[in-house]
Amino acid sequence: MNSPVIDVRSISYAYGKQKAVDGISFSIAKGEVFGFLGPNGAGKSTTIKMLTGQLIPQSGEISILGHLVQGHSKEVHQLMGVCFEEKNLYPQMSGEENLSFFAGLFGIKRPDIMGLLRQVDLHDRAKDRVSNYSKGMRQRLMIARALINNPEVLFLDEPTDGLDPVSAQTIRNLIKRKAADGTAVLLTTHGMLEADQLSDRVAFINEGRLYAVDTPENLKLKHGTRTATVRLRRNGTIVEEVVPLDATSSGEALKLAVGSGEVLTIHTQEASLEDIFIKMTGRTL
Amino acid sequence: MNTKRISRILRKDIAVGPRSPLLLFVVLMPLIMTLALQLVFGDLFVPRPTLVVLDQGVSQIGDMIGERAGIEVFEAKDLVELKRLVAEHEFDAGLVLANGFDQALKEGRRPLLELYISGESYAVNRLVLSITTLDIIREVEGRTPPVRVVVNDLGSNDPIPMATRLTPLVAMFAFIMAGLFVPASSIVDERERKTITAVLASPTTIGEFLIAKSALGVLFSFVMAVATLALNNALTGNLGALLLVLAVSAVFWSLLGLVVGLLAGNSQTLFAIVKGSGIFLAGPAIFYLFPDWPQWIAKVFPTFWAIDPLWRILADGASLSDIFLSLIVVFALILGLILVVRLLAKRMLTKLASV
Repeated sequence: MNSPVIDVRSISYAYGKQKAVDGISFSIAKGEVFGFLGPNGAGKSTTIKMLTGQLIPQSGEISILGHLVQGHSKEVHQLMGVCFEEKNLYPQMSGEENLSFFAGLFGIKRPDIMGLLRQVDLHDRAKDRVSNYSKGMRQRLMIARALINNPEVLFLDEPTDGLDPVSAQTIRNLIKRKAADGTAVLLTTHGMLEADQLSDRVAFINEGRLYAVDTPENLKLKHGTRTATVRLRRNGTIVEEVVPLDATSSGEALKLAVGSGEVLTIHTQEASLEDIFIKMTGRTL
Repeated sequence: MNTKRISRILRKDIAVGPRSPLLLFVVLMPLIMTLALQLVFGDLFVPRPTLVVLDQGVSQIGDMIGERAGIEVFEAKDLVELKRLVAEHEFDAGLVLANGFDQALKEGRRPLLELYISGESYAVNRLVLSITTLDIIREVEGRTPPVRVVVNDLGSNDPIPMATRLTPLVAMFAFIMAGLFVPASSIVDERERKTITAVLASPTTIGEFLIAKSALGVLFSFVMAVATLALNNALTGNLGALLLVLAVSAVFWSLLGLVVGLLAGNSQTLFAIVKGSGIFLAGPAIFYLFPDWPQWIAKVFPTFWAIDPLWRILADGASLSDIFLSLIVVFALILGLILVVRLLAKRMLTKLASV
């Protein structure tokens, strides 16, 4: 791994007596997509608020590209782009005006607004007021706004929420391109498949604590069970048998099934991130 | 503190303003109120008497009427034009002075004086024109008026007319709506839409954000106050002192707007605060309408100090040195409000982060 762009060291935060984040640590490298997964109330939002400087950790430290977030919010904000879960755009302004306004706040003199709008397929609606945009269009504009300052660190909270499959894929491709260009991406999502497809590593958070930080592949290998589902026609009825592939007897069981001449189909299946999350935390996402 | 970012937020708010029905209402209300009060108490819609004259000889009467203050005189080319101008209500009356009219008067003859009256002219204008014409005819005739008129003002010991007494109320209304309500509603709107979170995720600080909102209030309320005073014909006298007082008051009211905006978490609370505190905000201006009330009570209201310098300039023609003490109090209140804004801004940031 390259030197970390985001370095989180033992941060904690409590709302009154309620601990929201309890001493978590992780780091994200340049060009890495880091999936941050957990159910509602797990501590995801509080962690992101601390990372984006909205909350100050009650203990621990966060540094982004060598700047401590606490006390250097201006420098840090200049480097980051944030796509919030809420569609917090100015509805009375057009898409172009929204981006132009935020470009001004970042001190960008000649922003390529149309280029950015083209990347999210909104260039032909640039002059329309955001109040006339659909939910999906607003979400795409949110992504464009997060990219206005060409950030080195990108925080994306449910970036494909409410998008149709084609638009969602456009956004996923955009995230991949940004990561390939060297942007560190922290992604929170409820879509396990999306996290699996996009993330280089994922973190499981529950009750303010991290349960696992690893690549999806390693998590599946360490904590998941691969199986083969064999469908057979036996005595005129169709039956299904699930054969665990990691067991020492799995080869023999499959050989017997195939040898019986009753096999209709065999499907292999690997554990999903959601299965692993449930197994590790005892909670659903 | 980055002035470019402050200016960017301010320009955005000004650009978006006309697209917001609420902001339009806020800006238009003081003007509507001014016009309504002018209709009732003022003379904004009662135009000066106008007279069109056709001089068929070389009479002095037309010129002499024109020299009288407050009457507008126009000379017609012929009788057709005179009749048309009066019939189309462009003039209150038309006067035809026959050839040799002045000479006939002096010789004691009784020449014909034709006066055409517009059906839509104000009664007061007809009266003014008739009396003025008769007065001048007597003068040309060489006679002194048969009576000497002395006007005694009864029913009021106060020389300040009601229209002037209403001016602080109208100005205060402009300050409350444009100075207080505009920045307060702008902050609340950004909080409700959560756009403030997006702005603060850029390098913009909460201080820059609030200065921009305050500048919006100062700008709007200053322009609105000047406009309402202009409509009330009150932009006279010590204009430099008046504009300075308006600028200081605009700062005071916009800071009060920030306090209200930071206190109110949503539009309902904002309206409740403004409605609930309306009497406390505008209270001092009401005292100017009723000089019999004990005036010291008005001084208990903090907003008194922001409006009193304006009143003293308008009513007494006070200079800067006369209102120095009041201005010091306003500056002290402004400093106090800045401290309150700082505290409330911290509270708001904590609330925003914990949502």
